[in-house]
Amino acid sequence: MAEKVISPDLKFVKEVIASGGGDLKKCYQCSTCTVVCNVTPDTKPFPRKEMLYAQWGMKDKLISNPDIWLCHQCSDCTAYCPRGAKPGEVLGAVRKVSIKHYSPTPLASMVGDPKFLLILLAIPVLLFLSYIVPKGYLDFSAIPRGENGAIVYAKFMPVFPNIDVTFGAAALFAVVCFAVGIMKYWKEMTVNAGLTKWGMAAKGNIFETIYKTIVEIMAHKRFQKCNVTKARSTSHLMVFYAFIGLAITTTWAIVYLYGHEFLSIPKIGIFNFGESPYPLYDPMKLLGNASALALLIGITLVILNRMKNASKAGIGSYFDWLFLFVVFMIMATGIFSEVFRLLNIAGLAYPTYFTHLVFVFFLFAYAPFSKMAHMVYRATAMVFAKHVQREEQS
Amino acid sequence: MPDVNRILVIGGGFSGLTTAVDAAETGAEVIVVEKNPYLGGRVAQLNKYFPKLCPPLCGLEINFRRIKTNANIAFHTMAEVESISGGPGDYNVTIKANPRYVNDNCVACNACAEACPAERPNDYNFGMNTSKAAYLPFNQAFPQKYVIDANYCKGDCGKACLDACKYNAIDLDMKPEAINIKVDSIVAATGWNPYDAKKMDNLGFGNVKNVITNMMMERLSAPNGPTGGKIIRPSDGKPVQSIAFVQCAGSRDEKHLPFCSYICCLASLKQTTYIREQNPDSKAYIFYIDIRTPGRYEKFFWKVKEDQNVSLIKGKVAKITQDVDSDDVIVEAEDMLTGNKIRTKVDMVVLATGMEPAGASNKVKGVKYNDDGFALAGPGIFPTGCSKNPMDVARSGQDATGAVIKAIAAGNFKGQGR
Amino acid sequence: MEKKLGLYICEGCSIGESLNIEKLTNIGKNALKVPVVKSHFALCGKEGIDLIKNDIQSEGVNTIVLAACSSRIKYEEFDFPGSLVERIPLRELAVWVQEEKSEMQIAAEDYIKMHVIKAQKGDIPEPYMMETVKTILVIGGGMAGMSSALQSANLGYPVVLVEKEAQLGGFVNKLYKKIPTAEYYTEPLIVDTEIDKVVKEVESHPNIKVYKSAKVEKTDGQPGAYDVTISSNGSEEVVKIGAIVLAAGWRPYDATKLDHLGYGKFKDVVTNIEFEEIARKSGNKGKITRPSDGKEAKKVAFIQCAGQRDPNHLSYCSAMCCATSLKQAKYVRQNQDAVAMILYKDIRTPGRLEFYYKEAQNDAGVMLTKGEVTGVSDAGRGNLYVEMENSLLGEKVNVEADLVVLATGVVPATLDDPILNLQYRQGLGLPDLDLYDGFADSNFICFQYETRRTGVYAAGCVRQPMNMAEAQEDAAGAALKAVQCVEHVAKGIAVHPRAWDMTYPDPFMQRCTSCKRCTEECPFGAIDEDEKGTPFFKPGRCRRCATCMGACPERIVSFKDYHVDMIGSMLKNASVPEDEDEPRIFVLCCENDAYPAVDTAALQKIKINHAVRFVQLRCLGSTNLVWIADAFSRGVDGLLLLGCKYGENYQCHFAKGSELANYRLGKVQETLDRLQLEADRVQMVQLAIDEYEKIPDIINEFVDKVKEIGPNPFKGF
Repeated sequence: MAEKVISPDLKFVKEVIASGGGDLKKCYQCSTCTVVCNVTPDTKPFPRKEMLYAQWGMKDKLISNPDIWLCHQCSDCTAYCPRGAKPGEVLGAVRKVSIKHYSPTPLASMVGDPKFLLILLAIPVLLFLSYIVPKGYLDFSAIPRGENGAIVYAKFMPVFPNIDVTFGAAALFAVVCFAVGIMKYWKEMTVNAGLTKWGMAAKGNIFETIYKTIVEIMAHKRFQKCNVTKARSTSHLMVFYAFIGLAITTTWAIVYLYGHEFLSIPKIGIFNFGESPYPLYDPMKLLGNASALALLIGITLVILNRMKNASKAGIGSYFDWLFLFVVFMIMATGIFSEVFRLLNIAGLAYPTYFTHLVFVFFLFAYAPFSKMAHMVYRATAMVFAKHVQREEQS
Repeated sequence: MPDVNRILVIGGGFSGLTTAVDAAETGAEVIVVEKNPYLGGRVAQLNKYFPKLCPPLCGLEINFRRIKTNANIAFHTMAEVESISGGPGDYNVTIKANPRYVNDNCVACNACAEACPAERPNDYNFGMNTSKAAYLPFNQAFPQKYVIDANYCKGDCGKACLDACKYNAIDLDMKPEAINIKVDSIVAATGWNPYDAKKMDNLGFGNVKNVITNMMMERLSAPNGPTGGKIIRPSDGKPVQSIAFVQCAGSRDEKHLPFCSYICCLASLKQTTYIREQNPDSKAYIFYIDIRTPGRYEKFFWKVKEDQNVSLIKGKVAKITQDVDSDDVIVEAEDMLTGNKIRTKVDMVVLATGMEPAGASNKVKGVKYNDDGFALAGPGIFPTGCSKNPMDVARSGQDATGAVIKAIAAGNFKGQGR
Repeated sequence: MEKKLGLYICEGCSIGESLNIEKLTNIGKNALKVPVVKSHFALCGKEGIDLIKNDIQSEGVNTIVLAACSSRIKYEEFDFPGSLVERIPLRELAVWVQEEKSEMQIAAEDYIKMHVIKAQKGDIPEPYMMETVKTILVIGGGMAGMSSALQSANLGYPVVLVEKEAQLGGFVNKLYKKIPTAEYYTEPLIVDTEIDKVVKEVESHPNIKVYKSAKVEKTDGQPGAYDVTISSNGSEEVVKIGAIVLAAGWRPYDATKLDHLGYGKFKDVVTNIEFEEIARKSGNKGKITRPSDGKEAKKVAFIQCAGQRDPNHLSYCSAMCCATSLKQAKYVRQNQDAVAMILYKDIRTPGRLEFYYKEAQNDAGVMLTKGEVTGVSDAGRGNLYVEMENSLLGEKVNVEADLVVLATGVVPATLDDPILNLQYRQGLGLPDLDLYDGFADSNFICFQYETRRTGVYAAGCVRQPMNMAEAQEDAAGAALKAVQCVEHVAKGIAVHPRAWDMTYPDPFMQRCTSCKRCTEECPFGAIDEDEKGTPFFKPGRCRRCATCMGACPERIVSFKDYHVDMIGSMLKNASVPEDEDEPRIFVLCCENDAYPAVDTAALQKIKINHAVRFVQLRCLGSTNLVWIADAFSRGVDGLLLLGCKYGENYQCHFAKGSELANYRLGKVQETLDRLQLEADRVQMVQLAIDEYEKIPDIINEFVDKVKEIGPNPFKGF
């Protein structure tokens, strides 16, 4: 067997440290982390070996390693680490570097770096301003109203083309970026799996594996194995389903709008095909509001848990907090947009809705470079791990 | 004004005794203050020393004899230092001597213990058995004087003991006594306590049956221990066939003891010899981060390693659970050199708990400490042994001898008549 | 001084109920002719003590025989300064260990007879006085030596410091920086050694005389009165010395033996000592340059245990190298683009040094991993590969480096040089060094400074591998022992372990046959001899174990309170049962370990076969074979020796005592043949102080064996 040459990459070490793995070098390889980890497989478990690779700057062993995503950052490792090396946070940092590595645009570096925050926010702000400024909508009284003088956001920022084209484009951009990243990631994982020899070949049907992975994700089984951050299983589940709920709501709204516009589907009972706003009793609206509420509770719990466990699990990096902040802002501005609209307070409603749009754009367009990407990379890694039987196909 | 140095030695364990004997034999006057009813401290609880596997009482006995024959050494057992004032060459110290309820008339005839109706948990054996409430701490205890534990000898118990003694050696009215002394310098040899194993919630001590500490293992293996030296597990008395040693149970851990306790690797290696000698078929596993057998101790490591039935596994145990169907214990670790997570089922687990300096829980007023509770040197005050740094017996002895020259120098040595 | 005996029999602790005290009193008065014989209910009480004190005052009693309890208890009460005190453990040996009342009485009578005779034959000790000096010689001017010198000099003792190099400082002179000694997390991790300050303090100290480029040519004499010949720059001088601190230090292991690690083959493979020199030259410029081409080294690999912990090289760990490599990694990291890679078997930073590990490691460019380094090879482009197996980074990996540092180990100066050049019959250096890999170490865990050469105390790396801070602490201890030694010899008292003892060996030279046994056997080399083999006792070197007394076939070596005739008489004065099935057996036991074990058994009321009588010896090494003849000629059936464990991990406080006793027993056949007796009647058993529970079985087994052999044919003669 050819001996592997070890030549540390100091830059990579520094990058992991800068990305939130600040205590990485304190690790003295006792493997407490691996033992207390309930989500790692027994063979070649993580995160002890990842800590060593990170300490030595062995980039290739880390960024294309599915294990960094099998980690759900329960933080049991961090809580029990005798050296305070915070393996949970280090793996989070490695994931950030990995996201950046697979991202086809330089946006990844910007999303992870606080000094670019204003620029990143400026893009949607300017974009949306470019829609409303020419119409003179900075003067709120110039914005057309609906029946009985009700605030109608669609009249402020038309769904088509402004909203849908913008977000459609943003979503397309994200999907393409994801696709490029994931393909590269999958390829490198495959190559590495062959090299590192887990002694297991891929077998079974990939679609079946994907199906099983989805079932597992839906049930949030892994989160339930966490100890220190046990409560996170609930909060993450709420956020997770809230996002699904909101995704369905969005799709549903598109169906209402375009179903009415292009297929001339009329209002059917409680189903209000047509333009927004929709009445509160509409099932789509109910789902949307319920999801928003779930998101509010979920994200608040996530934040509270993080603060509560900070001493044991670590406070987290900028990268994490930016994501939480964005989600929180979307949810908060979304809810308040609706509240202000119903209360008919134009002076608050339009700016809030504007902000809402800015953050939604932020979330969508930057998804492949932000923590949001974890959804895609983790799912991919889980499928891969099952596929090569790194994990049991449970 | 006596023309000699007077040195207070706080602690009558291995370091304190070494300091006392060496100082007295150099011409100083020494007062030893010991909190236990006996001298010898932690080492008096050990079965054997590494690497020679010799009994601690061998060296203690010689030192006791030197104390007996040296008029320069006075000692107070069951005593503690209450206050220190003044400075080098002129320290005023108040010692509080707690009541033993047995006076110097005691002839160690055992009559009081035979008559005593009450029992107490035996702290010398870490509560693994009981003794009478009127007791000799252990059979080679020095001073050879009985003690009455007032917390357990209640009601008629005192009278029963009193009536059994023919020598007027029992005094149930004894009160704490304050003793004031003047000394030139002070040596703090307050030693260490085993770290509380209950604080490691993942290691099962107190919850999982048959998980004991390394100090308990010493008592369990000692001829004068609770089982007469038979290594049997606490839950059901089964002779131990397989045993796992969990290194760094609390040590090298910033959440517990951030330093290395120095002795635990060697102690566990030593303890494998106890079980291997007693039971030729037994198996021992040592789970470690780094095996620390510095200097010439390496050879002892090799000797143990040669034994086919002793396995050394690089990987810290971080989870200990009870077997579902038995009193066996399951330890979980990553065997790092194979890179797999392993679960090993054993009869008994020994946690190699570390040493917490006495200053972490009990500070002597007038002595300074660092954050971890290690005593710091001050003018005329010299910490020695495990009160200042974790160390083994050999280094404690060496350090205690070194402390003498510093203490004597601080008190303006007058004994040297050139 | 005229001796006047008083025998005091205690009736307490059930002695009174178990024994016929009147009969015992009569034996004392009539058979043993003791002028004062008294009994009391509790001798240790105030009344009892007053009784004895009164007799000392009014009757002139000065030799007190206490038939009461063991000497391990009531030592304060039974302390009569100016008198010879003999303790008979009647309570323990005549009452508690016996089963039958009748046996108790016989045992009590025997012990009273034996010990009264012992007291009759003993004398009150007088110290050995000679002219002494209190100058301390320190050999070695490194950190340990200088610290020892300062510690003793600060107490007012004159110090002579001998350094082989032209300047003081030792290995510290070679260092670029040192590890700080206080709290590691509050200080920089590498600090200046400030060795010049220490050197200056030593050189300007009024009590210290320094000899540089100097060597100890000869050490003659004994503690308190050594004549040490020091050569320096071509001239020789003889200096009177009281005691010696041996701090001759160490040298690095010969790296040329490490060719598998590329030393000598590649210019860029250097030792850790050489690396200090490299760092001293280029470190202040913030970078490390490598020897081959002077280029800056940016990937420096440290190979730990380069020779240490290796059966082919050094069997021990050098204790200092892990922290040293961590320190040197910080040299490398003075350049923020460079990396230091430490390849270890185990990182050994015991105690609070763990903080140093943690702080030094917490650096982006310091990498560590465990593995077995198997070799160093050429990586091309001027770089090297460190080949490693079973590492955490992979089963077989090559670590690329542009400079490789071998963390080589410590070799003690005493390995191949006696240094002291003692003019002792037993040799120039310290004995037993092979047991300690050449280090001038102690065999005793509890007594770290005790070597087999009285007055010589080792410190620093010549004693054990240790770091600089530890060496300074060690130096303080050795200095104290040297001070203690000169104080004791000045008063004529022994040093460790019989540091209370004022007796000394006083041979009756007229009867000496120059057989050399004493000079050969003395564990401490205390006896020299002339060309004819005539021994010269040097009491200053003596530890009072009386091995010489046991060795002497002419029985000429005596101590005031311990001699061959004394013990022989004890053996001759116990009862021998007339019944052929009732053997009488003597157990000679070491008073330091075996006897306390017997005493502990008695305290537990463990019963011991009534056939035996115990006799305490200073050390089993003092066993003289004539005692066997003494005992057997009186009809005694067997002799059992209970002594400390011997061998590599010997427990004898006098190093060789029990081993020598065993050796002598090997030759006992001759004596027994002469008496036409079976060799099995004499046996030695090793017993540790905590093995008291084994005593009944050991003794029963021996008694059974003796019974099997049958009664001593001399019985009844």
